[in-house]
Amino acid sequence: MITEDLQDQAALYVLGSLNADETAAFEYTLSDDAELRALVRDLREAAADFGRSVPAKQPPPDLKRRVLREIALEKQARSPRSTTTAANWLPWAIAAAFIAFCAILVVDRVRLQRELAVARATDPLSQAMLVTLASPSGERLDAKVTVAWQPDRQRGIITIVNMPPPGPGRDYQLWAVDANHKDPISAGIIHLDSNGVARIQFKPDQAVAQIKAFAISIEREGGVTKPEGPIVMIGNA
Amino acid sequence: MATSQDVADREMLAQAAGGDHAAFAKLYDRLSEPLYSLAIKMLGDANEAQDAVQDVFVQIWRRAAKYDSTQSSVFSWAMLMTRSRIIDRLRARGRRLRVVASSTDDANAEAAADASAAESAADIADRNEEAMRVRTVLDKLPTDQRQAIELAFFSELTHHEIAAELGQPLGTIKARIRRGLLKLRERIAR
Repeated sequence: MITEDLQDQAALYVLGSLNADETAAFEYTLSDDAELRALVRDLREAAADFGRSVPAKQPPPDLKRRVLREIALEKQARSPRSTTTAANWLPWAIAAAFIAFCAILVVDRVRLQRELAVARATDPLSQAMLVTLASPSGERLDAKVTVAWQPDRQRGIITIVNMPPPGPGRDYQLWAVDANHKDPISAGIIHLDSNGVARIQFKPDQAVAQIKAFAISIEREGGVTKPEGPIVMIGNA
Repeated sequence: MATSQDVADREMLAQAAGGDHAAFAKLYDRLSEPLYSLAIKMLGDANEAQDAVQDVFVQIWRRAAKYDSTQSSVFSWAMLMTRSRIIDRLRARGRRLRVVASSTDDANAEAAADASAAESAADIADRNEEAMRVRTVLDKLPTDQRQAIELAFFSELTHHEIAAELGQPLGTIKARIRRGLLKLRERIAR
């Protein structure tokens, strides 16, 4: 039985009207509830049907040519490359020191813990740890990055808005910093859409026993096994 | 339950995921009109609508392998991706939706006027029939539910903003959107 409150959330989720934290919490609930997933699918179909109701307009023939020309230039997606290059620890040390003294993040952490406590009190299924990432260099101030991490399931969801592109030949890569691992653990490549938005479910390459932080670095296109590039966003768990 | 068109869409998308440009072109023929129609409705500008639709089809090409048929049909996946892209554009430009009134105005006349000779008459008739069926169901929804869904679907307004716009409590707006969508689904499935 799906509560009306959860049905309301499902409708808003389908329409993209939940904020990042609400979305992350709802997606965790969704992952455990087959009945809710069926409802979401039905609501998606209904919402898409709603889109059919608009007056029909035929696109110009030239648009098809433009689309086909553009995809002809697209490169096939590449799998992550391995590398034997030694990890560059210096940027990580700088970022960690920055974080340790960053009062803004401390304040933010307190706020998030409060919100999480409220969320847990109202939704027992929402057991995710929420981590807000910030730029250690003070750049990308418009970017909003939130990670919802569920330690017992070793899965998380990262939500990103207003992130600039990583640059040609580069990818953003997510890392989990584990107290029991010497090197950060890759949690995958992040592909933004053209508006700098991404919402990705991830699972780190190795088990994370004691999460300390999540970080995003800029790496070579396709990703690396150990961080080499600059850290652009980081947040303590 | 998947229709034969859903199955055909999935096959075309799977082939496109394997790099088949011809299959992708067929998928474009199938989806471009409804996606472009939505873009025109929401953006109100043909050039912007073309850019948005081009962007969506490039995303469809890139993400074809990640499509999950358990989450939605190909049509719904593409339609909601288009809507999301358009809303991002509207928000990025700080614009308000130009038109959120009735979505049924002059639909048939415009569809007939714009129909491309390159498509078969049967394809156009099928699509018009689907659109007509949806509009018929929409007409039967209570006005408050329909209004809430129209604002939620066609505008970049959040549900908080919709509640303020309509002068209704947030819970009422959420319930109207939910009930309206569920009724829409139920009646269209009949």
